[in-house]
Amino acid sequence: MEILQNLLTGFEIALSLKNLAFCFMGVTLGTLIGVLPGIGPVTGVAILIPITFGMDATTAIITMAGVYYGAMYGGSTTSILINVPGESASVMTTLDGYQMALKGRAGPALGMAAIASFIAGTFSIIMLSWIAPVLADYAVAFGPPEYFALTFMGLTLVTGFAGDSLIKGLMSGAFGLLLACVGVDAISGSPRFIFGSIYLLDGLGFIGVAVGLFALAEVLVNIEEPLKQVFVKTKLNMKTLFPNRQDWKDSAGALWRGSILGFFVGVLPGAGATVASFLSYATEKKLSKHPEKFGTGVIEGVAGPEGANNSAAGGAMVPLLTLGIPGSGTTAVLMGALLIHGIRPGPLLFQEHPEVVWGLIASMYIGNVLLLILNLPLVGMWVSFLKVPYQILMPLIVTISAVGVFATDNNIFDMWIMFGAGIVGYVMRKLDFPAAPVVLALVLGPMVERSLRQSLTISHGDISIFFTRPISAVLTTFALLSLFAPLVRKFWRTYRRAKMEQ
Amino acid sequence: MLVFSLTVAYTSWQMPQRVEFGPGMGFLPFWLAVLMAVLSVLLLFDASVRKSASTGNPFPAPQALLNVGMVIAGLGVYIAVLDTVGFAVSTILYIVFLLAIVQKERWLKTAIVSLLSTGGLYVVFQVLLDVKLPRNIFGF
Repeated sequence: MEILQNLLTGFEIALSLKNLAFCFMGVTLGTLIGVLPGIGPVTGVAILIPITFGMDATTAIITMAGVYYGAMYGGSTTSILINVPGESASVMTTLDGYQMALKGRAGPALGMAAIASFIAGTFSIIMLSWIAPVLADYAVAFGPPEYFALTFMGLTLVTGFAGDSLIKGLMSGAFGLLLACVGVDAISGSPRFIFGSIYLLDGLGFIGVAVGLFALAEVLVNIEEPLKQVFVKTKLNMKTLFPNRQDWKDSAGALWRGSILGFFVGVLPGAGATVASFLSYATEKKLSKHPEKFGTGVIEGVAGPEGANNSAAGGAMVPLLTLGIPGSGTTAVLMGALLIHGIRPGPLLFQEHPEVVWGLIASMYIGNVLLLILNLPLVGMWVSFLKVPYQILMPLIVTISAVGVFATDNNIFDMWIMFGAGIVGYVMRKLDFPAAPVVLALVLGPMVERSLRQSLTISHGDISIFFTRPISAVLTTFALLSLFAPLVRKFWRTYRRAKMEQ
Repeated sequence: MLVFSLTVAYTSWQMPQRVEFGPGMGFLPFWLAVLMAVLSVLLLFDASVRKSASTGNPFPAPQALLNVGMVIAGLGVYIAVLDTVGFAVSTILYIVFLLAIVQKERWLKTAIVSLLSTGGLYVVFQVLLDVKLPRNIFGF
């Protein structure tokens, strides 16, 4: 009952006029960002950090989380209508959604995507509000070795899952940790890697790095070749949007499986909404009575992945809020934003800042309802936004990023950091280095280093401390194992292939 | 080409990080640098083994690369002059540059977009968020 009490308090906070307005703004912007190809949720949240800087922490996080799950709704629109995923989590939706649109069934596809998003999103928030406090209670007892093991695991999982090359993922992670070392050392208090610049004493500005690495790099990649957009013309109104009874029957199972699958995939650090939607599509195809029809415009192929990616967005909030371990690029940026507001996500968050946690959770319930309203009747309006050419959008993204980064500290130096990070991000993307581990490591870096050195101080330099305490032993082992997961997968695949040939 | 560009990227990445500090605060950076170095060698090895499978240079054609370069260079100039030229003038000029020169849009469209978006940014940041945007000596 305590949870209901807390939720009620949360709703009181989230329903204040200001928070409601910003929640609305967040989900609207999120939908827009999801709809527009070439700008994804990470970019959106990164650009928003400076803008939300002046707000109080609760309002800021409500707005930014709104962008995150709002983008999951918007992404489906582009996938269905122009066969270009609005963001990476909607890739699977293009397979059957676009085919449905070609068959003149764009309406039900869009409608089902929005409804699936709503049901799955709400499901994952309910799960979040029940699981998160329990986990947080449990995690309060953690000491430095446990924290090190936990952050270490978060990092290895993200690097393991990101991109296809483990080595490149690890290098990105190590690079991020090195960046986090810039500035005044937290334990001894002496500066390092500052190259004589007073601006670097405080460390590399997180906002500058995040905006550069994601927003600027994305612009640079997109400018190479302009997107070609081909519209499927359809009449969209309330009547055509609703899926018929057969559609419902077909997608009910996919929807529930997608929701549950998505939530748990989201909770796992490292696997996010994109992985969830891939898994859901694969599951549906495997379970279906007519797998050969997938890819020709079956509604299950829309409902499952769309549900899964929204559910994962909610699930990803669990490790972020309870353990302070972001599981993906977007949540890493969210965590950076919270830290800037002086709020440290982690087990103590529920005791120290209940208003932030419960306000956020309650706002997510509200946000999902708002999104359903925004996306069903108004889908035509979003479609018209698609006609804004990228040529006009591009200068806007660049200047908003630049001015936004400046605005946080009134500091031109931060703009140079963004500039540098943008070039690094572009090169990384071209060479297939994942960017998420860098940001994650930059955010977690100070925590990793402090807990590592504290633990080693406690144990007088004996590294076995990470293996003798039960929780940290399990976590460390898991982290080390996850490093070898890609290798195991490779062996498994060769083994399977060898078996098939027999 | 892929192997070549990777080589350049990684050897240059390795060098500055191989610095050892006193024990304590240099502990983590040092081992990270070692890890990076080991990984780079692994990656190089990996790349040379899979040479046949590589799909050529990941960077785009000269024309596209020129565009990317122009956006970056323009941004550099923009940041450099922002403090002296002021927010309004430099932002308008940068957007004009991006639209008219990099993307070859028509001038009328360029003018409208640059004026509107600079105005929009000004309203959001200066008026709504109360940020002191840089001004030039004439006060705008």
